[in-house]
Amino acid sequence: MIVVEDLVKRFGAVTAVAGVSFRVEVGEVVGFLGPNGAGKTTTLRVLTCFHPATTGRAVVAGHDVVEDPIGVRRSVGYLPENVPIYTDLRVEEYLHYRARLKGVARARRKVLVEYAMERCGVLEVRRKLIGHVSRGYRQRVGLADALVARPPILILDEPTSGLDPNQRRRMKLLVRELAEEHTILFSSHILSEVQDVSSRLLILHHGRLCADGTPQQLLERASGRRLDVQAHAPAEALRAALAGLPGLADVAVDSAPDGCARFSAALAPGADPRDAAAAALAARGIPLRELKLTLPTLEQVFQQVTEGADERAPAGAVA
Amino acid sequence: MSTILTTLAKELMSYFFSPVAYVIAVLFYLFRGLEVHGQVRAMAALGADRDLFSTVYMISPSSNFMVVLVPAILTMRCFAEERRSGSLEVLMTAPVREREVVLGKWLAALVFFAVLWLPTLPLLLLLNSEFFLAQDLPYGPVLTGYLGLTLLGAFLLAVGCWTSSLTDNQLLASLTAMLFNTALLVGPDMLGQQLGAQAQEWPWHVLLDQTRVRDHLVSWFCRGLVDTAQLTFYLGGAVFFLFLTTKSLEARRWR
Repeated sequence: MIVVEDLVKRFGAVTAVAGVSFRVEVGEVVGFLGPNGAGKTTTLRVLTCFHPATTGRAVVAGHDVVEDPIGVRRSVGYLPENVPIYTDLRVEEYLHYRARLKGVARARRKVLVEYAMERCGVLEVRRKLIGHVSRGYRQRVGLADALVARPPILILDEPTSGLDPNQRRRMKLLVRELAEEHTILFSSHILSEVQDVSSRLLILHHGRLCADGTPQQLLERASGRRLDVQAHAPAEALRAALAGLPGLADVAVDSAPDGCARFSAALAPGADPRDAAAAALAARGIPLRELKLTLPTLEQVFQQVTEGADERAPAGAVA
Repeated sequence: MSTILTTLAKELMSYFFSPVAYVIAVLFYLFRGLEVHGQVRAMAALGADRDLFSTVYMISPSSNFMVVLVPAILTMRCFAEERRSGSLEVLMTAPVREREVVLGKWLAALVFFAVLWLPTLPLLLLLNSEFFLAQDLPYGPVLTGYLGLTLLGAFLLAVGCWTSSLTDNQLLASLTAMLFNTALLVGPDMLGQQLGAQAQEWPWHVLLDQTRVRDHLVSWFCRGLVDTAQLTFYLGGAVFFLFLTTKSLEARRWR
């Protein structure tokens, strides 16, 4: 549905996107993460044909962004960051204007505008001037605009930026609902939101793609995972039973006053010794009380991925 | 075509809702009314040739206001405002072509410009009525005069669209357009004076003849004459600046 191959975008001497490749399949909700200035908006602008790429290729819904920009724009509903929309029009007028501009036939226009307003919860402000509604409503009007021609793909640039927590929660629910009918690529730097809504995450940093996978995959691949075991045995016996398992590091064992011992170790990326640990304890006849794999938070993964990239390519190497 | 009409309708609506347009209209009608009344009374008192009426009627300070200031003010927000607010991104990521958006905005400005002149027609009827002058004023040359001013407006509005597409600062866009409009009005005459006798030689005389906007109005349109060379000059000028506007919008792709 969206195919990006080796996309590079330079603005003079500044390289905003430095060779990004990814795919978004039909029906996916992909969260596009990255610190400010990572190249998220630039990539989305290339995908919506606002800027051309310097080199590389991008195909959206089967249309090449260079060869058939009109075809791309017909397939995409785009919500830019900060929702720059005309403030001197009424909500309903604006959506009718946009539907007309997007080539929605007159006969379907009324129905689709009603659908978009209802879906995005802006019916109660339909007669208000856009300049007079709150930031949350304006964001929803922008989303209604993206939806109004019922495009197969929605590209949303920071749809929750500038919203209060309640408005953010509502926007998140809305995006989740829309995911039933649209392929969605949306950018954000609020990780908890992305984790809740996305089926897959792309992490961009300094114009390069640093990570690509489901939230679960990224958490599993990350370092910072720990194995915690509690068993009814002396500390030394517990250490002897578990310390030899593969993929463990930074082992710590301590005794509790109730005759139990606690074992904790860092895990190598990808390692999962839970079954082996249970088997080792069973083989020695040690009663197991608790066995837990602790995953890092997405914030920690994000920090690892982006700071790891900084260490590999010192800041300034890629602007 | 649909994009042009959609943009035209939306922009026209914005003009009619804009307080700036009404301030322009009120100022223009006020000056125009006083001016024309004074002119016709003076002509009647002096027993001047009625045929001169269309020239006197068209070439007046309020016409200069409509030619030098108004096209620049009407078009200053066309693209500068879209750039400043960022709505250009919303507009240009819809399935539209730059040239269609440019044409739609320019046509809206032209229609509004023409609409601004419309209420001055009943003024003529009123002046003609027996309550005022009971004169049989000539309408034909006045109407071709209107045509000339509209064509000049079409050209200058295209210039305004272009200057508006170059910046996100509306004031800068309008001042640049006003500068161009003033240069077009007084430039050829000043150049002619500087050149002296040389102004009669080729290619200067051709260049000056084609660009003397005031002469076109006085010697041609206001006498009821419509010359294809002048039509070509105004419409060609409009097309040229609309082309530049389109390229200026497309230039974001070259960066």
